[in-house]
Amino acid sequence: MMNVFRDLCSTACKNVNINMFHTTPVSLAWSKSVLPKRFLEYNKKVFPPQALGEETRPAFVCHQLTNIKYSPEKLWYIASLVRGMTVDEAVKQLSFVNKKGATFIKQAILEAQEMAVKQHNVEFRSNLWIAESFAGKGTVLKGIRRHARGRMGEVRYQYSHYFVRLEEGKPPKDYYKREPLTPQQQLDKWLEQMRKRKITNSY
Amino acid sequence: MASSLLSKMGALRLTPVAVYTQASRTTTSKHWDPKFKKLRAKKFLKVDLPNFNEDFDTMSREKLRQKMKERGVLPPRPWMERPFYISATGGVFEPYVPPEGDGKASIVSASRAKQTVELLEKKSKSMMAIRKIKSFEEDFDSKQFAGIAQDIYIKAHESLANNDKRTLRLHVTEKAYPEFRHNALHKTIHWKFLESLEPPRVVHARCTDVISKENIFGQVTVRFHTRQQLAVYDRFGRLIHGSEILAKDVLEYVVFEKHLSNLYGTWRVHDKLIPDWMPPKDPSKLTRVQPEPEPEPEPAADTPAIADK
Repeated sequence: MMNVFRDLCSTACKNVNINMFHTTPVSLAWSKSVLPKRFLEYNKKVFPPQALGEETRPAFVCHQLTNIKYSPEKLWYIASLVRGMTVDEAVKQLSFVNKKGATFIKQAILEAQEMAVKQHNVEFRSNLWIAESFAGKGTVLKGIRRHARGRMGEVRYQYSHYFVRLEEGKPPKDYYKREPLTPQQQLDKWLEQMRKRKITNSY
Repeated sequence: MASSLLSKMGALRLTPVAVYTQASRTTTSKHWDPKFKKLRAKKFLKVDLPNFNEDFDTMSREKLRQKMKERGVLPPRPWMERPFYISATGGVFEPYVPPEGDGKASIVSASRAKQTVELLEKKSKSMMAIRKIKSFEEDFDSKQFAGIAQDIYIKAHESLANNDKRTLRLHVTEKAYPEFRHNALHKTIHWKFLESLEPPRVVHARCTDVISKENIFGQVTVRFHTRQQLAVYDRFGRLIHGSEILAKDVLEYVVFEKHLSNLYGTWRVHDKLIPDWMPPKDPSKLTRVQPEPEPEPEPAADTPAIADK
């Protein structure tokens, strides 16, 4: 607990020093960006041309919202809700989720949809589904709260990132594999397993 | 029965009122009396949480000024300077006008007759310009140059197809570079030069001085009639334009430019002339939603000037 307090004090002291030597404000000093950047790199990947008869490759677009003032743990529930839905369905569902995080996710999905149509050669804006949707931890600021007997507690003010990837086409029928297999499918699966067995030392 | 139902409905109507009047608590770690809420809140040190996604574009000027004052940021210096590139011109001077129907339109047509007269005028000017070019470049020959120009033309297009920006810069002027690269980002271009249907020929030449008398640029227009193949694929490898198996005859008027006064100047592709009579482009393969027309700016109402009191 004392560490937190020391950190706070030390930053305050540092600022004073910087102000003594530099005339420009500290906020303008160059610092390395800590935002996630690898996810958006997928938007730059160029795939090799397809032959004439080949099945067309579905287009996709990655998008992220960074440093949202919301807990990543809470955001995860909403992110999982929309996974595997069509874009229209997700937007419809999210407008009925009574949580702060739902607005961020809805905004991210709508922005990604706009990007897909304008920049990534997607023909129909409704022909998209949410292939990936997950939350990540962003900046965490620490605060102090008082406890009894002169002790201190740490408060975490968490920010979160949200990542979404929209893919062109229809969503898979059962994204979360919730539906049980039919007896016929079970039998087929078993048969397939049996046929795939390796008999040791056979060849 | 009815009375009991009514009483139930009445109860239903009353419930929300009851909820609001009596605070129901589920957490047991907090005191039931809300008067201690303020004291509990005082246990936390107040922290100014930054908003990382501030939208400065929609902020009002006053708000922006206030934010900058808070952070001790000076307003940015207005950028009044205009960048100016002096080793290439920004356009084509006295551009060549390709004759109607590539010179095969009926002689009787008015536009054709007018063009033939104009051509004669321009031809003499072209001769003068070529003479000027020769004064800088002794072994300049318009017949030979057409062949060299074709090489430059092929190299420029091949480097564009190979996404080779460094070589493209050698064969293309600074004015043409963004026009070449426009819309080529993340796309795969397959381009093939098959053959030249007619030998390329120089149709037009012009020289001009920029800023000072000695600083001379030369521009030569070359006519190419060639057979080419073009296929453009998007980021996902899907065909968006052209075809891999279809060859097309292409008629082009390409302007080449050289900074003549520069000892190390080279002939580079500067522009392509697109005549009015050219057939329209192939439509895009995708259907698109037509963007909403931009609202016309309302004419400012003439308010009578109010004199200062």
